[in-house]
Amino acid sequence: MPFLDIKSVDYAYSSGDDEYIQALQSVSLSIERGEFVALVGCNGSGKSTLARLCNGLILPDRGFITVDGMSTSDKKSLYEIRKRIGVVFQNPDNQMVTSIVEDDVAFGPENLGLAPAEIRERVDWALNCVGMSEYAKSGPLRLSGGQKQRVAIAGVLALKPQMMILDEATGMLDPDGRAEVMNVVEKLNREENMAVLMITHFMEEAARADRIIILDRGHIVADGGRELFSTPEIFTDAGLDLPISVRLAQKLRARGLDLGAPLDIDSFVSSALSALDVDRGEAVSDGEKNHNGGGEV
Amino acid sequence: MISVQKLSYVYSPKTPFMSQALFNVDLEIEEGDFFGIIGNTGAGKSTLVSHFNALTRVQKKSGTVIVDGIDLSSKRINVKSVRERVGMVFQYPEHQLFDDTVEKDVMFGPKNLGLSVDEQKKRAREAIELVGLNYAEVAERSPFELSGGQKRRVALAGVIAMKPKILVLDEPTAGLDPVGKRAVMDLIVKIKTMCPTVVMISHNMDEVASYCNKIAVMRRGAVVGVYTPRELFGSQEVISSCGVRLPLVTEIASKLTDSGLDIDPSITDEDELVEALLALKEGRRRA
Amino acid sequence: MRDMTFGQYYPAKSIVHRADPRFKLVILLLYIVMTMFCASFVSFGLLTLFVIITVIISRVPPLKVLKSLRLVLVIVLITTVLMMLFYTEEGEAPLAEWGVFHIYLGGIYASVKLAWRLMLLVTMPTLLTLTSTPTELCDGLESLMSPLKKLRFPVHELALIMSIALRLIPTLVEETDKITSAQKARGAEFESRNPFKKIKAMIPVLIPLFVSSFRRADELADAMDSRCYRGAKGRTRMKSLKFHFGDVIALLLWCAIFVAILFLKYNWFNWAFIAAVGL
Repeated sequence: MPFLDIKSVDYAYSSGDDEYIQALQSVSLSIERGEFVALVGCNGSGKSTLARLCNGLILPDRGFITVDGMSTSDKKSLYEIRKRIGVVFQNPDNQMVTSIVEDDVAFGPENLGLAPAEIRERVDWALNCVGMSEYAKSGPLRLSGGQKQRVAIAGVLALKPQMMILDEATGMLDPDGRAEVMNVVEKLNREENMAVLMITHFMEEAARADRIIILDRGHIVADGGRELFSTPEIFTDAGLDLPISVRLAQKLRARGLDLGAPLDIDSFVSSALSALDVDRGEAVSDGEKNHNGGGEV
Repeated sequence: MISVQKLSYVYSPKTPFMSQALFNVDLEIEEGDFFGIIGNTGAGKSTLVSHFNALTRVQKKSGTVIVDGIDLSSKRINVKSVRERVGMVFQYPEHQLFDDTVEKDVMFGPKNLGLSVDEQKKRAREAIELVGLNYAEVAERSPFELSGGQKRRVALAGVIAMKPKILVLDEPTAGLDPVGKRAVMDLIVKIKTMCPTVVMISHNMDEVASYCNKIAVMRRGAVVGVYTPRELFGSQEVISSCGVRLPLVTEIASKLTDSGLDIDPSITDEDELVEALLALKEGRRRA
Repeated sequence: MRDMTFGQYYPAKSIVHRADPRFKLVILLLYIVMTMFCASFVSFGLLTLFVIITVIISRVPPLKVLKSLRLVLVIVLITTVLMMLFYTEEGEAPLAEWGVFHIYLGGIYASVKLAWRLMLLVTMPTLLTLTSTPTELCDGLESLMSPLKKLRFPVHELALIMSIALRLIPTLVEETDKITSAQKARGAEFESRNPFKKIKAMIPVLIPLFVSSFRRADELADAMDSRCYRGAKGRTRMKSLKFHFGDVIALLLWCAIFVAILFLKYNWFNWAFIAAVGL
């Protein structure tokens, strides 16, 4: 059984005056332990609604959602579900409960009723994981946006969840802040085998996930690996951008220079080099080959 | 249009708690410029631009700021006429919406300028249409019912309705999705035909590179220099000394150059890079 | 606004920081009562001396403490000057007189004491917030009020509300600043002398502030729910409150000062030296 299982879920919310907006329609997807999934879509595609459904903050109108075999519709299991799925939200200022970093990180484990020593241990571990140990006693005013989001991640991490949902957690950050958060998330996925569902509209970030789900006006229009980027229309039709490397490769292919579908800048550079070098009839040097790892489909 | 000379600014002056936010800033912004200001958080960008509409007053003996012929460093200035000339759009401007209908909210600025009700309405209508909203559809609706992108447009309309000559924007595309970002930037280009001078603070180097004709780099309260996008992103020295991120296109171009390809490392436009790569391929085939 | 230090913790290692927040709160209460009983300059001096000692051993830079007193200083100065100018002493000749204003010797004494009392009154609470985290204070309050739980008084909820309020005040101040600037940029004026106009002018600031506060509250509630919050039930704390021997000593010491101040005021045994310094 998958860790997170969403089966034909509908959800509509009211926009005042008896009007309802269908945020999600027959959405089904499942996520296994340890997976790194990006959920992309425009504003208003229903991404955030999906995040809030996953840990039972809201309940589906139709269909069901189970986490580790427990249904979010069962009130008694909500607590157990939230222990397993942590959610980091968009606004860095609206997630800290107390004015001191370490007290805030302790909030989750305190709710679990753990022994003080155990809480301390988890707090120190979580802050260390996100690289914020030296700010343990700071207040939020002294932190940058990226640092605040790392604290929010630590706050979730201290619950020792098996999966983390980042609901546009990088949306309000500057480029440095986004990079900080992405690095932490990738590290958690790699080293702690944390399943990650990253909701974003930054395609450069999405391209770093193993699996990409595209949501368009409440429907899932694509769900697959990085090979999705070789059919760019799926993204553009959903009102999304493409990572710049894919966009450039696409333009070049149209003009007769095929670089495949490089997903990040480095793989674009190395495939461009090899494409041009191959044209010249020379082999790619070893140094360039090393660049080539990972990123390309 | 805007001339800043030797501008310094100190928070809580003459107390033991003072901290200096600006150091001897010199800046010339000309009519028709799409002027970008970049720099890390805390570099003094917001403090600098808040001088342009007298939200922050020039301190004594701390330099001069002249905006459209008005000397803002003189003691007595007509603040209203300055704010009429310089429209300022803050980060997440939709957070300033307050009135019960979109039209009334957009009329707030013109009303404060003391215009007649007819003129206020006329301007609100023009501004709402200019930002690409359907006047008949939204005018009587509450701004709080609109979608995020629409709210931002209404907030922009609220500033444009004052018919400023200079528009100052602080991170106008923050928090929007790619489509929303492009729409807002297109909108700003459209507004620029009426309000020819635009100043934009941004963290998004791709936007700065593709829209601005001049870019001021700020660092720790000082302006490091003013460059064209090409000069800025082509110069390794400036880039590394100021901790500026490259636009993604330029990053690719410079990496290609570093790997020995004969490509201009300061390219800031995607199509230009495509052409350069194709030209290279063509050249190699012939050789 | 940027320099607001109220409610901001200053991390340092000191006895004052380490002390049990419950004792700190009790001492603070005692202290506030004490300032009310200060009558002579000697007792003011005595109390001030102990405040200074506390600041020194707390290892909070005195500047930091002064900084948070700055806002209050204006209010204190105004009240003092007013009091000095309007204080009337029956049967005494004024030292100086300008129309309705007049200065008596007694007025000078009374207003200096008032100013001193007010300054003393704000210093210690400030020091308390500088040396204790809001969590500690809220935990302390919760613990002190815990007997009320038996009366079904929502002690835990109250403490949590306080903690969140302390957390959000600086954020809201910052936000008010931003919205005010944005509306000023649209030509709004807040400097009107007419109070009705002034209130009306605040509407464009207050409404967005309310809207964003509700949004913040919603998001914070979601974040708390997501982190397994279920109220006080089954909740433990990372930092459990423990009092040390030193806390008891400190409390006893402050009690002693209190007694001394009472003596200085009432002079129960009619000691001559107290009467001599009794200004």
